[in-house]
Amino acid sequence: MTLITVPRPPKSAHNPDRAVSSLLKWQVEHLHQAEKRLPLRYHGEVYVNAIKTEGEAARYIHDVTEAIHTAHEDEAAQRLKRVLRRKRGRKT
Amino acid sequence: MPPGLDKLKHIVVLMMENRSFDHMLGSLKAVNPQVDGITNQDPYSNPDTNGNLVKPQPLAQFQGQLDPDPDHHFPAVDLQIFGGDPNRAANMQGFVKSYFNQQRDVGHSQKIMYYFKQSDLPVLTTLALEFAVFNRWFASIPGPTICNRAFAHYGTSFGRVDMNLLYVNEPFKSIYDRLINATPKHTSKLYYYDTTSSTMEITNLLQNQPELFGTYQQFLDDCQSGNLPDYTFVEPNYSDHDSDSGEEVASDQHPDHNVQAGELFIASIYQAIKNNPTLWESTALLIVYDEHGGIYDHVPPPACTPDQFTASANDTGTGMPFAFDRLGVRVPAILVSPWIQQGTVVNRVFDHASIPATITKFFLGDYSPRSPRETSADVFIEPNVPPVNPARNLLSLGVVRADCPDFDV
Repeated sequence: MTLITVPRPPKSAHNPDRAVSSLLKWQVEHLHQAEKRLPLRYHGEVYVNAIKTEGEAARYIHDVTEAIHTAHEDEAAQRLKRVLRRKRGRKT
Repeated sequence: MPPGLDKLKHIVVLMMENRSFDHMLGSLKAVNPQVDGITNQDPYSNPDTNGNLVKPQPLAQFQGQLDPDPDHHFPAVDLQIFGGDPNRAANMQGFVKSYFNQQRDVGHSQKIMYYFKQSDLPVLTTLALEFAVFNRWFASIPGPTICNRAFAHYGTSFGRVDMNLLYVNEPFKSIYDRLINATPKHTSKLYYYDTTSSTMEITNLLQNQPELFGTYQQFLDDCQSGNLPDYTFVEPNYSDHDSDSGEEVASDQHPDHNVQAGELFIASIYQAIKNNPTLWESTALLIVYDEHGGIYDHVPPPACTPDQFTASANDTGTGMPFAFDRLGVRVPAILVSPWIQQGTVVNRVFDHASIPATITKFFLGDYSPRSPRETSADVFIEPNVPPVNPARNLLSLGVVRADCPDFDV
C-alpha cells in the first residue's frame, strides 16, 4: 500500500494575533447570544466588542462553550437529585 | 445485495471551509479528463476592472495570498455568478470584479482565479483520484457559512441567506434528532475540534443539545475502539490557538488559514478510520466544503427545487428576493470507501441537503416531514433495500480493496 507523505505547515502558520475573521466574529456573536441566556453564574467577563484577534476570539469561544456544557451538566445533576429525593419521599 | 452496502454501518461527513472545486481539484482534469476541472487550454477567464481577461492559473499559495478574505456573502456571490449581467445569465464572470471591490487593487484581485497544483494537495487530490469525486456538488445557497451548513444539519436554512442567528422552525428536525429519536434508536454525534474551536451550529444544537457533541480526540478514540456512531459530522479547527498539547493551527482551510494544516487534518480523519480494519470496511467518509469562499469556479450553479422559505429583498442585500431555487457555487466533494472503484467520477447534481437526505433514507427509510429541498435532493449512498440500482450505487465493488493509500500522519 502506498504511503503518502503529508507536508506539515510551517511554524509561521500559527498566528493567534491574526485579525479576527468575519467567520469567527459571527461565531463569537452567536455564542454571545447563547451566553446571555445562561444564568449569571456562568457568564464570563469578556467584552465581546473588544475582541480583535483570533486568539482573543478563541479564548471567548472556549469559555462560553465550556459554560454551556457545564450549565447543562449541572442541571442534569440537579434533575437527578430531584428524582432521587422524590423516590425517597415516596418510600417513607 | 452489494456487500459494500450490506456492511455499511457508519457514515462520516467532514465539512471543510470556503474553497471552490476548481481552486482545490481543478488541476485533476489534466490527470483524469473526466474531472470537470481546468487546464490552461480551456477558454475560461474573468475580466478584471481594466477589461483585461484573467485566466485561471496554478499559482495558489497555502497562506498569505487570499488576504483579505474574499467576500462570500449573498450580494458578492450574486456578482460572482452573474458578473453584473442585467439579463442575469449565470456566466461566472464576476469573481475578479468582486475581489477588486475589497481592496481596489487590480493585481491582487486577479489572484481569485488561482488554483492549486495537484502536487500541492497530496491528500485531497489522492483521495479524489482513488475514490469518488463529485463533478456537480454545489453549495446549497449562493451565500456564506452558517446558512449553508444548516442545509447539512436540517435540509434547509429556514429562509436565511446570511450569518445571523438561525432559529430552527418546526417541523423540520435536525438529522441528529431524527436518528436519536427513531425507533429503533440510532446514534449520532458531532465532533468539533476542541471547545476552543467549538461548533458553528450554536443557536440550536450546542445551546440546546450539547450532549450531541464530542471532540476530535474523542473521534480518534471512538475510531480506535470501534465505537463510532451510525452518523458522524466532523468540524475542523476554526482558529489558531493554544491548548494543553501546545500550539493548534487552524485546519478549516478558510482563508487565510494554512491549507496544508487542513490537508493534515483530512488525512488524520481518513487514517483514523482506516487504521481500524473493521471500521474501514463498514464506513463511508464524505469530505465536502461548505461553500466556495468567493473563489473562482467555472461551472454555473443550476436551478433547484425551491425551498418553502423565501428571503426578502432586504435580507438578500441585492434588492431582489430569493426563493432558494438556485444552488450556490461548486465545491469539492469526495466519497471515500474501500468499496468504491478507483477513479470514480460522479456527474449527478448534489448539494448539502443531500446529506440529511442520504442519512435519513439509509438509516430510517421513509421519513417526514422534510423540507422540499431535502425531499428532492439526490442521495450519495443508496439505501440498502432491494432492488439497488447498480448505476447509482457507488459502493459497488464485490470485494473490498486492498490497495487504498495510507498517509503518514
